[in-house]
Amino acid sequence: MQGTMEKIDDDTYELFFGPAHPGSGNFSVKLKVDGERIVSARADPGYLHRGFEKLMEYRLPLQNAVLSDRICVLESLAWNLVHAEAVDELMGVEVPERAKYIRVIMAELSRIQSHLIWYGIISIGTGFDTGFKLAFGYRDFILDLFELITGGRVYPAGYICPGGVRRDLPESAEEKILNVLDKIGKMIDFERAENPANLARLKDVGILNLKDAIRLGATGPVLRASGLKTDVRKEEPYEVYDRFDFEIPVRKEGDAYARFQIGLEEMEQSVGIIKQALKDLPDGDFIAKEFSKPKLNMKIPEGEAYIRNEIGRGEAGVYMVSDGGIKPYRVKIRGPSFLHIIPVLEFLLRDAQIADVPAIYWSLNGCPADIDR
Amino acid sequence: MSEESPQKKVMKRLIKAIWVFNWFNSCGFCELVPLVGSRWDMERFGIIVVGNPRHADVLFIAGYQTLKSIKRAQRIYEQTSEPKVVIALGSCTMTGGMYWDSYNTIKRLEDYLPVTMYIPGCPPRPEAVFEAVGKIFKHVEEMK
Amino acid sequence: MVESVREKEIIENITKNFKVDVGIQRERRIWVKSPSEDLIDLCMFVKNKLGFKHLSALSVTDWPKKGEYELTYHIWSYDDKILITIKTMVDRENPEIETVSKIWGESSQIHEREMHELFGVKFKGNPDLSPLFLEDWDGPAPFRKDFDWREYVRNEYYSKDNDRESAYFGRD
Repeated sequence: MQGTMEKIDDDTYELFFGPAHPGSGNFSVKLKVDGERIVSARADPGYLHRGFEKLMEYRLPLQNAVLSDRICVLESLAWNLVHAEAVDELMGVEVPERAKYIRVIMAELSRIQSHLIWYGIISIGTGFDTGFKLAFGYRDFILDLFELITGGRVYPAGYICPGGVRRDLPESAEEKILNVLDKIGKMIDFERAENPANLARLKDVGILNLKDAIRLGATGPVLRASGLKTDVRKEEPYEVYDRFDFEIPVRKEGDAYARFQIGLEEMEQSVGIIKQALKDLPDGDFIAKEFSKPKLNMKIPEGEAYIRNEIGRGEAGVYMVSDGGIKPYRVKIRGPSFLHIIPVLEFLLRDAQIADVPAIYWSLNGCPADIDR
Repeated sequence: MSEESPQKKVMKRLIKAIWVFNWFNSCGFCELVPLVGSRWDMERFGIIVVGNPRHADVLFIAGYQTLKSIKRAQRIYEQTSEPKVVIALGSCTMTGGMYWDSYNTIKRLEDYLPVTMYIPGCPPRPEAVFEAVGKIFKHVEEMK
Repeated sequence: MVESVREKEIIENITKNFKVDVGIQRERRIWVKSPSEDLIDLCMFVKNKLGFKHLSALSVTDWPKKGEYELTYHIWSYDDKILITIKTMVDRENPEIETVSKIWGESSQIHEREMHELFGVKFKGNPDLSPLFLEDWDGPAPFRKDFDWREYVRNEYYSKDNDRESAYFGRD
């Protein structure tokens, strides 16, 4: 742990967790500690604040599609999708069926990839190095798919753009995706084997009960681990999620281990969704007519849209307002980590032990980039 | 036998293994961390990630720096012991990249820190990082 | 559709108790326009009586021509699967509004803290409005419409004499 200590009074010291921590990303928590016990924690974000919301006001929606990759690098395709849907709704674009299926496939691949990172980072935080190396190795198979389909390993450069997707799936894609899914299946089997290192570090650590979880604004896996069965894909089906058969994993315990288990089960469900989507993949256009040859002066009709999506970390939202110009008037981005890593983390760290900080921090699967935006 | 400068003597010792400290913003994270993973496995080239800048030979400054994070980066640079090499990753460190009109990011890293080498790309591919590190080896060999 | 019935019920419930504009934007989306004085009562009602427990997002839109900030609260109901958007206007020069942090707890507190930093809206009664992202920032609230980033960045980071850098900003 990269830390400095400062004495406050005879009993309490201040300890910094981050920002130069190999796993925390650019994010820091100031802990007040009394011996090994944490008296209070205060999150200190802002190392990655670029002001996306206002950068988007200066750009056209097609440029913003590229910018939206960068909101959270670990899940760039998912953020692509949220942004594209907001523009679609404002412009009233009818997205072709094939594009919707491709969007779902890419969003789910992105979720698996993000959960592999999650697994890897929890593993390194709990001292299980093999898990970390394997997870990142397997994630690279998915990055290869991204490179094949979108052209970029991590940044798809606005692959999911307003109106559909930028390019059709290449011929070999279906076979390759199925091939990779088989490999991922093996990785999931490996992860599901009960591991004493994970069990000992994560069980009964950072318990969040349902009432607190809702009050603190937890969403996604964190909320499901506390016992509420909720998933935006089921409750408010976007794209074609209502046509697929999948389960929502729920746990009652609310501890770090439950969150960790939810991540693993979600990967299995995502594999199932992709297989179904590949089976039903219809023929046809992959981008709407208006956008296949985009004009620079396309006006966005006056209005507003609030889009919610379920991404790997929780609920992602984009609120877009247009005043009838060619650029969006106001974009508000709602990142799931913003609430997970500030109020939820501060709450869970109170009265925890210093040794549990990494386990709690990484079990929330935070992405500092989407806190600061 | 040709005379070796004291600097080369130090650098030759360094050349066997390069210890890296990462100061990464998000894009650096998603391309530098896979390097440690089993696919790219940078340890086979003698590159090891360390947890403390005081142990490091090479400092990776990855991605755009905001006004808040550049202060920490400068601190880390000061803590890194000599001789040190600073490698900047990504287009954002050269020109501001995507965020050229953002009010809170710096535009050129070399205005704030002495940069030895830039790796272009948004983000750079793992191979590019390997090539850059290879160039450090080469640079030391050619040193007088 | 079952949902639209519930949406109408919610609208009836709100109009019975408050004098506000309401409407259905589309499936699962309701908007309410409320004067800023009624906001707290309306939020209490929406949370406690109608079960909207999750404050999904809080956003501010700057309308300099009208001289107003538009605050939008997006609230999701886990029971009804409906999102309600409460809008209210505050004066742009002296943006002050009661906090909703007593209603939705810490989640709304942190949203308000962010909006205070980016737009300068004061949330009365919010216990902590210290800066979140910016360190040593003494300029105007950065997300206001009248703060032109390109102009600021050009003066702060780029040289006007440099032709290549001027090309970023187009001809002017």
